[in-house]
Amino acid sequence: MSNVPELVISGLRASVEGKEILKGVDLTVRGGEVHAIMGPNGTGKSTLASSLMGHPKYEVTGGSVTLDGADMLAMSVDERARAGLFLAMQYPSEVSGVSNANFIRMARNARLGEGNEVPVLKFHRELQQKMKSLSMDASFSERYLNEGFSGGEKKRNEILQLTMLEPRIAILDEIDSGLDIDALRIVAEGVNSLRGAEFGLLVITHYQRLLQYIKPDFVHVMMQGRIVRSGGQELAQKLEAQGYDWIKEELGIVDETIAAGV
Amino acid sequence: MSEVMEVSGLSAPAQALFAERGDSSELLAMRSAALSVYEQLPAPKYEKSDISRRKMDAFSLQVAPAFMPDETWKSLAQPYFEADSEHPMLVVQDGQVVYTRGTQDLERLGIRFLPIREAARQYPNDVLTRLHQAVPYDQDKWLALQAGLWNEGVYVYVPKGVICPHPLQFIHVVLEGGRGSFVHNLVVGGEQSEVTLLETYLAAQDLTDNLHIGVSEVFVGAGAKVTDGVVQDLPRHSTAVIVRRAIVERDGSMDWVLGEVGDGYTVAEVGSRLVGTGSHSTSHTVALGSGRAHADMTARMVHEAKFTESDTTARGVMQGRANAVYRGVTHILKGASGSNGQQSEKLLMMSKESRADAIPMLLIDENDVKCGHAASVGQINEEQLFYLMSRGVSEAEAKRMVVWGFLDPVLAKLPLSTMRTAVERVLERKMK
Repeated sequence: MSNVPELVISGLRASVEGKEILKGVDLTVRGGEVHAIMGPNGTGKSTLASSLMGHPKYEVTGGSVTLDGADMLAMSVDERARAGLFLAMQYPSEVSGVSNANFIRMARNARLGEGNEVPVLKFHRELQQKMKSLSMDASFSERYLNEGFSGGEKKRNEILQLTMLEPRIAILDEIDSGLDIDALRIVAEGVNSLRGAEFGLLVITHYQRLLQYIKPDFVHVMMQGRIVRSGGQELAQKLEAQGYDWIKEELGIVDETIAAGV
Repeated sequence: MSEVMEVSGLSAPAQALFAERGDSSELLAMRSAALSVYEQLPAPKYEKSDISRRKMDAFSLQVAPAFMPDETWKSLAQPYFEADSEHPMLVVQDGQVVYTRGTQDLERLGIRFLPIREAARQYPNDVLTRLHQAVPYDQDKWLALQAGLWNEGVYVYVPKGVICPHPLQFIHVVLEGGRGSFVHNLVVGGEQSEVTLLETYLAAQDLTDNLHIGVSEVFVGAGAKVTDGVVQDLPRHSTAVIVRRAIVERDGSMDWVLGEVGDGYTVAEVGSRLVGTGSHSTSHTVALGSGRAHADMTARMVHEAKFTESDTTARGVMQGRANAVYRGVTHILKGASGSNGQQSEKLLMMSKESRADAIPMLLIDENDVKCGHAASVGQINEEQLFYLMSRGVSEAEAKRMVVWGFLDPVLAKLPLSTMRTAVERVLERKMK
């Protein structure tokens, strides 16, 4: 059996509070590939990320999602994570009472399963080393999970968890928002360290800026809850230079947001 | 074996009971006066608690036969009992002292730590002049009953300028129900002294009737610092009425820390009267209600002097069919200018059948003061659960983490690590 992961999204539809946001998304992400989803605000990018992970606010009304053939939509959020899916969130929650290090260790052990727990010392050594490479102060391991972290610190912490949990497919939802250029470079290096045949990546972003550091193989544009254009790196560059209007013109779209597509 | 008394004519049998146990005539007279108040007053009506269906007559005025203590109390108290620690401890089971340690060392420092009835015999002036001064009974039927029948509890006295080197621990265990527990604690911290008292109340899970009326009176001298940490873990068929109040003198400081983890029916008030300029008090309460627990809790801080400060924090988690009311009362009297009273009550409902109310009350009769409150009642935060679960942690584990995080600011205040660990273990067990 090949160990190359494959996430297949087909005809995915999702609603929030009865309003349809995703209107049939088709996308396949395989190990070794980096896909970028771009698009203006309000076109369904974050909804796609949250729906894939199983956020309770979003109701999937049609289509399918499989990871290595397994039906993701039938799984609870934690089962999806243990199957190898990871979502680095735009607004990570703060949870007091549990230290960052303990949480990450619990999450990792949950993935490894009972009996395969990582030895504590080995874990902490690895954690400290990865924190160092993300330029995170050692004290962050003992602080409560995201509590009192600045926006940028939270983003780094998402990437720390990503590198510690080593998922098969990761989704980065606007990981670049609130990061200055140095932080962006550090975060991108962390992500790039995972690239390989056993890791597939889906990057959601407004800006081409992030894609200068995490080079995508495929670029997709989302409007009105669908993927309306796909291409290579050159598509991202064209969007950066010319904006989205030319796509709207080609497609005859006046308003690219969900509301207009109803 | 135990005989439940009628609700009238308690005085004579009570006199006989306590005379036999060696109470002075002065104390017997005080008891009689209290019992006649008890007989005259109607049962108080609580706004959020219907106590009329509870067995408030589940007590006995017969002398309990003396018993040879066995190890049963130890198995119950074990989580709170730090065997290898040296701090002084007094354990009472069913009205009888079953374990004492470390009190001799205290005598050298002039510190008194002994059962309150014994203290009333040894130091009648000190005890009787303080009794009922912080918690008067004349307006409350159940407090009057307690004032007539108090039998257990501890007396703590720390002389001026003395810092008690260890926390003092009192463990109260009920293994045999139906007799009623009337507990009175009296703490006197002299000027510039420091002391921490830990109280733990436990009872056998299978008791059918367990009536507990408890009063703690704390006198904090000028510049003194007193901490009182209480853990109450009473079983389902318990009814507890409890008032704890401190009177804090100039620049004194009183810290209350309460852990309410039982499944019984509790109406409790805790608080401080800040009577001295610059005096200060905090109250931290953590509660877990499970089963059909009912907790009606009031934290009352009364600012009577200038530049006084109070801070009240409560965190409650209700599961099953538990029901909780948290009232925070910050009262700033006229003349208490420059005072600052803050409170925060946060309650988390874990099940559809649980109920919780947070009622903040700010009563302010002075202009130049600061006052603030935050109250919230809600369900577990869905975003937090999603976040934790998205990393592979199960829903049950994620909920547990959110609850710990919610309780943490108060748990961290429990004054002894053994106590904290014990409470955490109880929470862990009950949250499954």
